[in-house]
Amino acid sequence: MMRNDPIKHVFIWPAVLVVLAISIFPLIYSLTTSFLSYRLIPPMPPRVVWLGNYIQLLQEPRFWNAILTTTLIAVTAVGLQYVIGFAVALALNARIPGERLFRVAFLLPMLLAPVAVALVARMMFNPTMGPLNQLLGHFGLVNLPFLTNGRWALACIIAVEVWQWTPFVILMLLAGLQTLPEDIYEAAELENASNWQQFWGITFPMMLPISAAVVFIRLIESYKIMDTVFVMTGGGPGVDTETLTLFAYQEGFKKFNLGYTSALSFLFLIAITIIGVTYLALLRPHLEKRR
Amino acid sequence: MSASNLRGLSPWSRRLIALGCLAWCLITVFPLYWVVVTAFKTPPGVVGGPTYIPFVDFAPTLQPFIDIYQGIRGAFFHTFLNSTMVGFSAALLATAIGAMAAYALVRFEFRVRLGAGLAFFALALGGYLAFNTYLGLTRPQALLSAFPLALAAAMIANRLPLPGPILGNEDILFWFVSQRMFPPIVTAFALYLLYSEIGRLGFQLIDSFLGLTLCYVAFSLPIVVWLMRDFFEALPIEVEEAAMVDNVPSWRIFLGIVVPMSMNGLIATFMITLAFVWNEFLFALFLTNSRWQTLPILVAGQNSQRGDEWWAISAAALVAIVPMMVMAALLSRMMRSGMLLGAIK
Repeated sequence: MMRNDPIKHVFIWPAVLVVLAISIFPLIYSLTTSFLSYRLIPPMPPRVVWLGNYIQLLQEPRFWNAILTTTLIAVTAVGLQYVIGFAVALALNARIPGERLFRVAFLLPMLLAPVAVALVARMMFNPTMGPLNQLLGHFGLVNLPFLTNGRWALACIIAVEVWQWTPFVILMLLAGLQTLPEDIYEAAELENASNWQQFWGITFPMMLPISAAVVFIRLIESYKIMDTVFVMTGGGPGVDTETLTLFAYQEGFKKFNLGYTSALSFLFLIAITIIGVTYLALLRPHLEKRR
Repeated sequence: MSASNLRGLSPWSRRLIALGCLAWCLITVFPLYWVVVTAFKTPPGVVGGPTYIPFVDFAPTLQPFIDIYQGIRGAFFHTFLNSTMVGFSAALLATAIGAMAAYALVRFEFRVRLGAGLAFFALALGGYLAFNTYLGLTRPQALLSAFPLALAAAMIANRLPLPGPILGNEDILFWFVSQRMFPPIVTAFALYLLYSEIGRLGFQLIDSFLGLTLCYVAFSLPIVVWLMRDFFEALPIEVEEAAMVDNVPSWRIFLGIVVPMSMNGLIATFMITLAFVWNEFLFALFLTNSRWQTLPILVAGQNSQRGDEWWAISAAALVAIVPMMVMAALLSRMMRSGMLLGAIK
């Protein structure tokens, strides 16, 4: 039942005002700045260049490299998180022995500061003194260039992302699994459906809506990745692991190229919106069929 | 809780699955164990190659922590205090006003015309440009004067019978949550520019408690509104209806009945928000430089300054990590009692 009481405005306006102020202000500000040629170093008076910044960006190979790197990290990491997370959630739901202990351990990584996690990862991946090097040494693989070779570094960053955020997927999917009705499985068992059939016929389709939501959240969050890369490789070697946010940071905060950076962040916003809308559009038919 | 899947599994496959879980558990825990152990090592204990077990492999020492306490590796104490103050204030404020908004969205009906929303954006943008170009106001001044004008105009426009769809509570909720989709770099960079221009007018926001907290509150609100709405929706409405029959005003229903009933949800939301603010890196990087630096910035700085001094790096990482480990333990307790499930569903 919905009430209608003038006091509702007192309840909702503080939140609306704060969010409006912090989101609309910067939006307008950077939208207008993105049409200017505006640098702080060397200082130059702002000059209107309209789409100049955008055109320059679209012709910049470093920009496309950053998009590619970010997409690669996001898609691979989220894919792995989903597969591992679903498997672990299924196992926890089946009440395997020691399930309680696992729950605490599985919750931990996602509450830790990504910066600290990245520092720990740097130690783990150290090519001479790290424990991973010693472990691989037993298999005859010594001093691998974990963070100094472009491809290895990307793989390491993806591994850290998976380590840190799989718990989130486990948490959400486990909550989803626990809401599934029991009687369908009883019926399936009467029909002698194997576990494999039960999973693909019942569990997976019924988990599709929550899976879609989890993957969506993780995908959007992964595109923002910055702190892990900042600490682990700083975008290097060269620009091999430079993500979009890191690129924007370098341009804006190191070179103080304000117009250019604003245009970059706007292109980023457009890209994220396109990815989000495409994802939802692709999934909609599957989700509606189940209702 | 149902043990629906894998019910028909043989004991052997159950053991196999438990083994897989154990493997993942080891992968999860080992880096944490490593950082704890390394923080107690002496320099020779680190350089000599990986060692694992204290007292057996190496002689533990408290030196790294003493160094931190004495401030040899940066003002940890001061920074820890900053993080705590900003974290608690932002999380508390966000939970409070976010919960209010979530309650309003569950119990009251809102109607916003799409036309009014568009009018707001157009007027804010146009007003800003006009004030800046024709009246010669500085850019923050132009923004600050365009904002209330646009807001007032939009509220008047909302009363007019404009054509176009009318947005309801669901759409307002979607607007809140969609703010989380924004790449934070868009806001962080623009806020940095805006804050520094406001600073030139004599009101310092960069590297200040107010500036950082305000920005964290705004960025936590979407999550808070989203989580709290589910908690409030699960509450039985009968109690509130009974109070309404007795003519209890809405704000007393909220404070006296709804808040106590959803205390668990509020605490969980507060903790999640606190963790988010505590770990946040990008905004702190842009908006602080020395006085209000937070822990993630200081910890990230250890990296470049200290090369391979792992004992120090580990101790620094621990300072940032341990409070959240305690929170994880608390949260998992609450999870076991099933109270978080409602929020996630």
